[in-house]
Amino acid sequence: MTTAAVPAYEPSTCIDEVGELLAHALADDVDMAFEQVVRTYQDRIVSYAARSLNDVARAEEVAQDVFVRAYRALQAYDRPRIKKLKLRPWLYAIALNLVRNAVRGKRLRLVGLEREDGRPRPIVDTAPAPEAQAITHDEWRRVQDAIGRLSPKLRDAFVLRYVDELSYDEIADALSQPVGTVKANAHRGLMSVRDFLEDQP
Amino acid sequence: MTERLRHCIEGYREQTRHVARPDFTAQTLDRCGLADRYAIIDSAIGPVYVAWNPRGVSAVRQADDAEAFERWFRRRFSRRAMPVQDEPEILDLVRRALRGEKVELEIDLRDCTHFEAAVLRKAREIPRGHARPYAWVAREIGNPRAVRAVGSALANNPVPLLIPCHRVVRSDYGCGEYVFGKPKKYELLTGEGLHMSEIQELARHGIRYIVQTEYNCFCLPTCGADLMAELNEHEHEHLKLHSVDEALGMGLKPCGVCRPIAA
Repeated sequence: MTTAAVPAYEPSTCIDEVGELLAHALADDVDMAFEQVVRTYQDRIVSYAARSLNDVARAEEVAQDVFVRAYRALQAYDRPRIKKLKLRPWLYAIALNLVRNAVRGKRLRLVGLEREDGRPRPIVDTAPAPEAQAITHDEWRRVQDAIGRLSPKLRDAFVLRYVDELSYDEIADALSQPVGTVKANAHRGLMSVRDFLEDQP
Repeated sequence: MTERLRHCIEGYREQTRHVARPDFTAQTLDRCGLADRYAIIDSAIGPVYVAWNPRGVSAVRQADDAEAFERWFRRRFSRRAMPVQDEPEILDLVRRALRGEKVELEIDLRDCTHFEAAVLRKAREIPRGHARPYAWVAREIGNPRAVRAVGSALANNPVPLLIPCHRVVRSDYGCGEYVFGKPKKYELLTGEGLHMSEIQELARHGIRYIVQTEYNCFCLPTCGADLMAELNEHEHEHLKLHSVDEALGMGLKPCGVCRPIAA
């Protein structure tokens, strides 16, 4: 791989300052500390889901599911396990899963179902067509477009690193992949996004 | 290109950043079963709405109906309270506490200031059949001059009856204010065995302490329901004292329960 020739763009890692404190508080009392966990990460998780789903209302539902699932899991964990928990990547791992399911469900709903009267439901895609997106002048929309074209493998690594600004260790945790793989995928994602933007000045 | 790439990605990040809607936290906690629940429970002053959450009991309140209670709860705590569906363990504890039984019941005071919480915790120590002046509470929490603030803290008591703020009275043993109204306060104290009118009468005559001959100590006249009964039985003038000096001059110790003077 041509790592030497790449643009040296590394976003700052947004450090999870309270994660460890929260994990300790959770270990003491899940019910007491959980509210703070929700407050700390809710905007992040909602944003993450909204970017992937392109639908804020649905994203908030999914984000809620993330926390409900996290809470249930915590109830089953013992103290030492909770104490060692890296909260942020752990929540992202749950979010990745649920968002993936939600995307899949959305696609199924769009093509599969018939109306109650038996006639086929008209297929309506609520997201703007790729052509329509490509001609807008907002550059950030083109990034969105570029991300949409990445393979899932590159997309997850790229988004977590460059959009959500997690550290490589955290991403490796969230994706259950080796750090090396994560670095390579995030970088290939970045190259792909760059190429896409360059093709359309 | 690198600069532009960075710029585009940052733009994308900022443009697609979302803030969860205001009731997101409350709704999420509710779905986890962590929201406040409430039920109507009978008490010495009639039916009251009682709310609780995993931290403990959060509110006791009279309201015209469930809707009015929920509205008040939301305004006061910025959280939702939902009616309870089943009969959780805590309800039994609340019922027993409201009947005057001694039970281990957690109270959620997270919305109180340190001072308010200190006042309320102190008020909670006052046993049934006893009462203490506002000034006593102020002194006991190490803030002897904050008598008025003690009054405000008690007026804000989120869980009246469970934290018996009705047992804190004026120094002349007049009742003072109460969330459920002054007459209710008098009624509650009398119901718990205190001879309030007699105690007020003593105060009007400048009697501030009562001697417990058995223990060789002197007490506030509101130190337990039996104190006045004893006084009436013996009818000895020397059992009533006007000042601390008088008590100390007689070689009496301050009572360890009602702590009539600073330690």
